[in-house]
Amino acid sequence: MVAVGLQATASLPISIRSITKRYGAFTALDAVDLEVDSGEFLTLLGPSGSGKTTLLMVLAGFIRPESGTVLFGERDVSLAPPHKRDVGMVFQNYALFPHMSVAGNVAYPLKLRSIPKAEVGRRVREALELVQLGTLGERRIDQLSGGQRQRVALARAIVFEPRILLMDEPLSALDKKLREEMQIEVRNLHRRLGLTTVYVTHDQREALTMSDRVAVIDGGRVRQIGRPRDIYERPDSRFIAEFIGESQFLPVVLRDGAAWLDSHRLAVERPPPTAQGAHLLVVRPEKLTVLPAADSGHGLNLFEGTVKEVVYQGESSLVYVSLAGGLELSVRRPSRGADAVPVAPGAPIRMGLAPADVVIVPAELHP
Amino acid sequence: MTVSTGGSANLGAYRVAERRERWLLQSLVVPGLALIGLIALAPIGWLFWMSVQGSSGFTLDHYQRLLDESYLRTLKTTFELSILVTVLSIALGYPLAYLISQARPRLAALLMLLVLFPVWTSLLVRCYAWLVLLQRRGVVNSWLQDMGIIDAPLKLMHNFTGTTIGMLHIMLPFMILPLYASMRSIDRDYMRAAANLGASPVRAFWQVFVPLSLPGLFAGIIIVFVLCLGFYVTPALLGGGRVYMWSMQIERNVTYYADWGAASALGVVLLALTLGILWAVGRLIGFDRIVGGK
Amino acid sequence: MARTIRSAVSISVAALLLGAPAAMAQDKKVLTISSWGGAFQKAQKEAWFAIVEKELNVTIKEDNTSGIADVRTQVASGKPTWDLTTQGAYSCKLLEKEGRLEKFDDQTMKALADIPTALGRSDQCAPQIVYSVAIGWRDKAYPGKEPPGWAAFWDVKNFPGQRSVRKHPIYALEMALIADGVPMDKLYPLDVDRAFKKLEELKPHVLVWWASGAQSAQVIKDGEVDMVAAWNGRIQALESEPEGKGGKIKTTFNQQILVSDHWMIPKGAANKDLAMKAIAIMSRPEVNARISNYINYAPSNSKSYDTGVIAKEKEAGLPNSPANAKKGFIQDNQWWVDNADAMVKRFDAFLQR
Ligand SMILES: Nc1ncnc2c1ncn2[C@@H]1O[C@H](COP(=O)(O)OP(=O)(O)OP(=O)(O)O)[C@@H](O)[C@H]1O
Ligand SMILES: [Mg+2]
Repeated sequence: MVAVGLQATASLPISIRSITKRYGAFTALDAVDLEVDSGEFLTLLGPSGSGKTTLLMVLAGFIRPESGTVLFGERDVSLAPPHKRDVGMVFQNYALFPHMSVAGNVAYPLKLRSIPKAEVGRRVREALELVQLGTLGERRIDQLSGGQRQRVALARAIVFEPRILLMDEPLSALDKKLREEMQIEVRNLHRRLGLTTVYVTHDQREALTMSDRVAVIDGGRVRQIGRPRDIYERPDSRFIAEFIGESQFLPVVLRDGAAWLDSHRLAVERPPPTAQGAHLLVVRPEKLTVLPAADSGHGLNLFEGTVKEVVYQGESSLVYVSLAGGLELSVRRPSRGADAVPVAPGAPIRMGLAPADVVIVPAELHP
Repeated sequence: MTVSTGGSANLGAYRVAERRERWLLQSLVVPGLALIGLIALAPIGWLFWMSVQGSSGFTLDHYQRLLDESYLRTLKTTFELSILVTVLSIALGYPLAYLISQARPRLAALLMLLVLFPVWTSLLVRCYAWLVLLQRRGVVNSWLQDMGIIDAPLKLMHNFTGTTIGMLHIMLPFMILPLYASMRSIDRDYMRAAANLGASPVRAFWQVFVPLSLPGLFAGIIIVFVLCLGFYVTPALLGGGRVYMWSMQIERNVTYYADWGAASALGVVLLALTLGILWAVGRLIGFDRIVGGK
Repeated sequence: MARTIRSAVSISVAALLLGAPAAMAQDKKVLTISSWGGAFQKAQKEAWFAIVEKELNVTIKEDNTSGIADVRTQVASGKPTWDLTTQGAYSCKLLEKEGRLEKFDDQTMKALADIPTALGRSDQCAPQIVYSVAIGWRDKAYPGKEPPGWAAFWDVKNFPGQRSVRKHPIYALEMALIADGVPMDKLYPLDVDRAFKKLEELKPHVLVWWASGAQSAQVIKDGEVDMVAAWNGRIQALESEPEGKGGKIKTTFNQQILVSDHWMIPKGAANKDLAMKAIAIMSRPEVNARISNYINYAPSNSKSYDTGVIAKEKEAGLPNSPANAKKGFIQDNQWWVDNADAMVKRFDAFLQR
């Protein structure tokens, strides 16, 4: 690609402090606290209606919260109107101006900033090249495909070199393949420009793929925030475990500083929580290994049962198992190497869970 | 080899099939088209025919007659008044339509009702209402005089001013309705995007909202302008007899002189000028925008 | 009791079935007459049509006309539906010139003998009523002062205020010339240039160029204008109505322009003979005079005032009563037939300047 003038500019951290937004009796954001580091790619992930868009709109200035403050770097922007916030934004429906050409859209923020004509032209060209639309400048918006519109929206959001970029489900209108391509592009663009980015999605895979950190939101609150791996591997509530990835839960009892599954003491790597009340063991199907008869499974937590059904899913199969006591578990086996330990419905099966993979969460949804 | 031959043969077949399908679809509208032709085009054709008929066959006399000062002045008045009313209806209608489009649904419905209310009232009643309000000893002049704001009554009626006010009142809904429709369809994300990109509310309004509302504005302009060109009752009642509209000349030719030829020539001229203006405006800003495309 | 009712019912049913009244109507000829409608036509009906129906044993079917164009269209069709129609004097002259009217027979002409020819009487036009264009003014505007004539209409120093004149050259030119000093008996042929020059003087003071009789009355009644040149009947009618914002309205016949409406028979009328008989009846002094008892219009027959049909106090308000007729003059329709087209054009240009 051509050398581009759009380079990493000093980006700004964002501090969201105790933001509350109500619609009548309904609380859309409930005292949200969130720190986004400079240059970080943070994803807001949550079910529909959880408040993601609302939070983003508060950052962009379109929604005035009831209380709380927002800082961009040192600057308190809580009361700043949207046009004075200097943040780039990609709207869910792109909001490209139909009365302007592609180049016109991208040039618009520059013209508003009274940038000399020649420079506007140069920067528009660079921005369009950056999103690989170098040749489409004169097109009308309604002559673009969905993916192209997405790129134009992106170009328009970054061309004026904002220090913060906000994106609200920018890829949700694209088909799966294009979406995955764009995920990588957006990610690369972020790497190049180093913009502090807040990205909204309800697609967990997208969140896990793209983000430096993920903040999972539900009911207007941030439920857990962390690196994708932590969110996935170490959910700290039943909600997170359920919402992200496939999880199955087995009731455990915490006693004497250990976790007990019936009369078995779970082998753990990290000490189990010390909290009171009912707890659950989180078992993800791919964390279980099917043990050959010869394998003693030393050091693993063992589960024994009968194969109920085997469902072939391409790169892996899902094996449904009935445990003693009416409990059920499923285990995911990669298709490759599955022949080593054949399983068939009705046959006994033994599965192991490494101590490192033991995750115990309180039984209620949101502790 | 086989493939390419097959390909081109196929192409021809596709074309034929496509054409047949289009014909079939278009033939569905034939009855409607015939009816429109009959009730819309036939009279225009007849009008044109009459306008070139004299006592001894073909003649351009009727057109020649129009070159007289009195007709030319009427033409000028007709266009001046129509343009003025159109401009004023934009000046009043745009802010009103904007207000309604931004209001809460309840309030918007109420405001819309107020806008539409005059449409349901008879034209004549509205003209007389204005007469009562604005004449020399009318309500408005009485108030102004009682409050000591003016000494002598203002000449608000029986002239160009009165006619303009009366026509404006009648035309306003025709400006507001299409404007409102197009404003309502503007996604608020456009305005947010503009603000986000750094546009102050004023600039966002002029650079984004207004351009996006243009289809409605053009529709309104054309409806109002064309309707104004044909106005009769209001100028006759409120113009004090000195506001001559083209339609009055037509009426006069029909009723005083029973001269269909001259009246037809007047009609043809108005039609031609109107079409000419529409064409020019269309060339200037694109017909698809007038008709409501993007 | 019940039986009686039933038999009564059956009798009337039988009568309907036999169609007795319908048969009678068929015996009678139907004479179709058109006129201006409204109060005027109602007066015509009561004053004249009733008598015609009785004397000729005909049924009169009424219709409305809005002017000369109707007659032209009907005659052009070859089968006019009207046997008789009311039109203005000028229209009648025009139709006569165009050959669209039936000629009266000698007997009818004899019946018209006492109608002044100056009104435009001819062998195709029979004047039926006379009215005038007179000055009406708001009493409050000039208390105790009666405008002596058209010069006063122009005199905005002594008679300040707004004026209203018909949006047509047809009276305006005569008014202007008289105001400019031309004697009433030396008007025709009109000095057009002089008239328009004089009109130019008045133009700034004319608030409303009226287009209908109703409008001419409304503007003076509302006090929009202080002096109006309008049809006498319209202004006099205001005297019997409750006062408007303009207060009391007065009329003068000084220098009035006398005009008339005529009977005429469209060419090809089915019952033209009956129509002529009807004209003869309605032109008889004692019949002709009756119209003034129903509406503020004057009879066309000079002898009407001798019949005693019109009360003395009524007579004072009629434009062509022996006393009033002298104050004004009769408009020359022929001049207008020859010049109207050009005058209208010039007038339109004048108004729009
Ligand atoms: N103007 C409003 N009035 C009332 N409630 C609102 C309004 N806007 C949003 N809400 C509510 O606030 C909650 C949060 O909305 P928000 O748009 O932030 O959800 P979201 O997380 O973006 O969901 P999605 O994934 O469906 O876009 C929702 O329950 C919504 O119904
Ligand atoms: Mg959302």
